Amino acid sequence: MNWFSHSIAKWRYKHLPFAQAELVVLDLELTGLDPKRHEIVSAGWLPIKNMRIQVKDAQYHLNSEVRTLAQSPVFHGISSSRLAEGESLQTLLLALQRALHGKVLVCHNVQMDWAFLKAAFQRFELNVRPALLLDTMQIDKRRVLKQGYPLAQDALTLNACRMRYGLPPHQLHDALSDALATAELLLAQSQAICAGGKCKIADLT
Amino acid sequence: MTPEIQDVFQFVYKQAPFSELPEAAASYFSKHIEIVYLSQTNQQDWLQDGKPNLYLLRSGVVDLISAKDEVIGRMSEGDYFGYPSLLTGDAIQNHIEVQKDGLVYILNEQNFDFLRREYKSFEQYFVRAHANRLLSSRYKQQSETWSERKISELMTKDAVTIAPTASIRDAAKLMSQHRVSSIMVTEQARLVGVVTDRDLRNRVLAQDKDPSAPLAEIMTEKPKHIFENNRVFSALHLMLKHNIHHLPVLNEAYKPLGMLTSTDLLRQQKSDPVQLIGRIYKAQNLLAIKSCAQEIPDLLRQFSYHIEDISLIGKLLSGLTDALTSRLIYLYQQQHGAAPCRFAWICFGSQAREEQTLHSDQDNGLLLPDNISENDRSYFAALGAFVCEQLNECGIQSCPGNIMASNIDCRGTVAQWTAKFSNWILSPTPKAMLNCKIYFDMRFIDGASDLYATLRQSLDQISRNELFYAAMATDINANSVPIGIFQQFKLEKDKSKHKYLDLKKRGVAIINDVVRLYALKVGVARANTLERLEALTKSPLLAKSDIDNLKDCWRFLTQLRLKTQINHEGLPGNCINPENLSSLERHQLKEAFYLVKQAQQASAFKFARGSL
Repeated sequence: MNWFSHSIAKWRYKHLPFAQAELVVLDLELTGLDPKRHEIVSAGWLPIKNMRIQVKDAQYHLNSEVRTLAQSPVFHGISSSRLAEGESLQTLLLALQRALHGKVLVCHNVQMDWAFLKAAFQRFELNVRPALLLDTMQIDKRRVLKQGYPLAQDALTLNACRMRYGLPPHQLHDALSDALATAELLLAQSQAICAGGKCKIADLT
Repeated sequence: MTPEIQDVFQFVYKQAPFSELPEAAASYFSKHIEIVYLSQTNQQDWLQDGKPNLYLLRSGVVDLISAKDEVIGRMSEGDYFGYPSLLTGDAIQNHIEVQKDGLVYILNEQNFDFLRREYKSFEQYFVRAHANRLLSSRYKQQSETWSERKISELMTKDAVTIAPTASIRDAAKLMSQHRVSSIMVTEQARLVGVVTDRDLRNRVLAQDKDPSAPLAEIMTEKPKHIFENNRVFSALHLMLKHNIHHLPVLNEAYKPLGMLTSTDLLRQQKSDPVQLIGRIYKAQNLLAIKSCAQEIPDLLRQFSYHIEDISLIGKLLSGLTDALTSRLIYLYQQQHGAAPCRFAWICFGSQAREEQTLHSDQDNGLLLPDNISENDRSYFAALGAFVCEQLNECGIQSCPGNIMASNIDCRGTVAQWTAKFSNWILSPTPKAMLNCKIYFDMRFIDGASDLYATLRQSLDQISRNELFYAAMATDINANSVPIGIFQQFKLEKDKSKHKYLDLKKRGVAIINDVVRLYALKVGVARANTLERLEALTKSPLLAKSDIDNLKDCWRFLTQLRLKTQINHEGLPGNCINPENLSSLERHQLKEAFYLVKQAQQASAFKFARGSL
């Protein structure tokens, strides 16, 4: 797909009612914050169809090929022995490609996760183009700033955002739990921003 | 394989029934759900989306609202909804109103059925939850349907009373001061009369009466009254029957509490059957009565869809039959002259119990004074023949057992009726027991109520020996409850080999019989089974829990029975094929029969000394 047709497709997608959009909500556990030096440890994702989170289609993958975990297990709690039960990064990426291609990718801080994914897809020469990127963190950042409140530190963490919508507190477990927490947050945001199913993707970007 | 999301699993595993089940059950649930976000803007999209689902509330607050816009319950974290449709297969009736936005876990029917098959206690949990909801919310609401409400709940005003010696002017001033249209006249806290606005107009102003005259001269003496614990339905009935608009409300000790006006009742939901009763009482000729009677079946069919408790139909049908009877007696007297002496028209059986159905036939009789002359008897023979024949033409079929006022055996004096009853009581043959079952459910319809009171008194004086109660208990136990030791249904077959269960003969009738036995023993004068049970709570003979169970059980069986009459299945009347029931109804029916069996056996134990 060339740039031109891609941009038209993107425009069309933006004007799709939220209820009709196919979304994939994803979270990655990483060894660090630099896509050039650090690696993907695990990935968890779930689809949202017709405003319903499809828990039955959730996926969770561990990358058995991580070279240096270093200090990162402090954050994600995954030891090298557990990693060994995982699968190759390529298998992980192929599964993600099937789930993600042509869908809307949703993450809490999507730029970070997409940077890691883009680099990894390029390394394995996989062509994966989400229709759109959607960021629950940016949605809340804009909402808070629009309401004229200053942004406190930690105001945009996943749990802080969930609290604003009265969602139950969420335990940080693993990539899949975080992906679910993000998906629930997105549904709450879409309800708060526009009246139910009449919401368009564009209203959230 | 779907991975497990720890957050979801940990929440689900904490909830009943999963907390009592193997981890695999909670795990299955957590892996097969969808999650949605409920808000006020999308609340109409859930529950009513056509497909039955099990909903588990993860967060937020949601009100469950019935089709009649009544709140069934408020639900919060950990509460389920949607399961009644999964259990019964009936269409979803309720909808939700979100009070606080939140998340809800949705399990579809297929996955619910899987868990139900795999884990018996999973199914039991929801069956019980459903039964509880039916009993607590539905019956609570039922007792709140307008005509079943107690008078005391409608009556707001305190009693405005005045002495009969006060002047008419003083009464008018007091009425104006309290802004009431009627006043109760009392002497030593006892009601002696009533004065209304209309009386002031017709009996004072229009007749140039001196306003300083004592009130006693213009009041209506010994007015009709009602007790605070009576149902609204009875009040309506009384008002329509006597064409009065003010009804003094008394407590059990006859102390006046307040006035119930027809406006108070009009403020309640209007109802077609009650209007029909009103029209019957106003009917001026046979033709008008019959055209009212023709409307009854259709009206009831429609009404049954509007009311929650279809056992109320029994009361309405009996009310309609009472009205037809009274009006026919009135019309007869219009044509053939007033009755030559006092009399009381009484009814027996299902009409007396106020449990009539569309198939019930007539059971009635005439009660006459002991000193009646032969000549006067012939008047009542003609009256009895007329009323019974006309009732038959109105759709209330003649009694095959000829228990009708048209039969000379059913037109007796107080002494004759008393002799009849004492004969049955003192020599309790099986035939006598059969008569007891019908005649001991007795109610006054029209005429002289004191005549009826005299009969009741003399019946109470017949000493009943243990042998009589033992014979009744034995008779009750001769009828078997259609449930085997392994809780399977024992079905009967008709000529064309259809299998069926007789809900009336094997269920409702046994409860009626057992309750009648206890009521006779304790001396409860009522005929209605639920009212008898209510009165029995004061006796140590039956435990409160047994009484409540029998009531629920009776309601359930009656409801099922009336439902089958309305949607006829081609089986004998009152019969059902259990295979046509939902699994929940089958389950409840078994439980109900089990209770009936227990009550039946207990009666044998208590009264027949287990001599069976």
